[in-house]
Amino acid sequence: MAASKASRIGEEIWKTRIDKVNAELVTLTYGTIVAQLCKDFEDDYPEVNRQLDKMGYNIGLRLIEDYLAKSNTMKRCSNFRETADMISRVGFKIFLNITPQVTNWTTDNNSFSLVFDENPFADFVELPDDGRAQNELWYSNILCGVLRGALEMVQMQVEAHFISDVLRGNDTTEMRVTLIRYIDDELPPEDD
Amino acid sequence: MAVYTFYIFDRHTECVYVKSWTPPTQAAGASPAPAISAGSDDAKLVFGTVFSLRNMARKLGGDDDAFISYRTGQYKLHFYETPANLRFVMITDTASASMRNVLHQIYINLWVEYVVKNPLAPVEHKGGAGIKNELFERGLDQFIRGMM
Repeated sequence: MAASKASRIGEEIWKTRIDKVNAELVTLTYGTIVAQLCKDFEDDYPEVNRQLDKMGYNIGLRLIEDYLAKSNTMKRCSNFRETADMISRVGFKIFLNITPQVTNWTTDNNSFSLVFDENPFADFVELPDDGRAQNELWYSNILCGVLRGALEMVQMQVEAHFISDVLRGNDTTEMRVTLIRYIDDELPPEDD
Repeated sequence: MAVYTFYIFDRHTECVYVKSWTPPTQAAGASPAPAISAGSDDAKLVFGTVFSLRNMARKLGGDDDAFISYRTGQYKLHFYETPANLRFVMITDTASASMRNVLHQIYINLWVEYVVKNPLAPVEHKGGAGIKNELFERGLDQFIRGMM
């Protein structure tokens, strides 16, 4: 099965080719970024979500190259289901050492959920108790941007957003990823 | 083995990098290097050629098929394309073996390390911005000369 093969690849790369950093350093650094954004935008949480997504997008545009190099990927995934498995079992595995579950596929195979059983960004985190953050802030929203940027570079336009987060008191942390379209190859400009 | 010219084309089909090498000594009786200059017209022609060949290879051999190289009487052209549509082209003498792995190594060890991971290099390399840094240039030159 493709999924178990992807798991093996992810495991292998994680063990042999990845420089590790302290997980708490990542957690605290990310926490500082979100806290600073909340301060800079005066607790305008929808704007903080947008900024996190934008930062993630710019990370994704570059991270995809590192992903392709580390995973030795020579060709594209043949369908979106394979893409989802590779995101979870190779992408998340090698960069964050987690494998979110891929689930809740729509019947047209264009939309799935990533359910995060663990989320290294959210350790030690409590959302501000101001009555709004619980409803408005998507703490890990940077991940949506990363996926959007990375997939755009391999010619998939996707939409990604969180629909639940344990930090808000939900039972699970779930991100919804929807394929909008495959982007066509760019053609060389016509010579006049 | 001799490497004559090396090109990188980005996903917007623009030639973002080109470099030529002249063989240090021309062995007696060996055919002279083909006159492939680094002019922008040549880059356009090279891109047009590899782009068409790649599309034709896919049309005939299925979407997973890849165009790898072609050979003329004077030179051999090698092609490698990453899933992010970055295209590497290398022109060598006719006797060289497949350079696909070499191009892949250039991508992994030089492009990703010294261009993508360079925080001062832009994401889009319009006009070659961010590529002509010392680490990349020197790494590439050493790597190619190491093979010759």
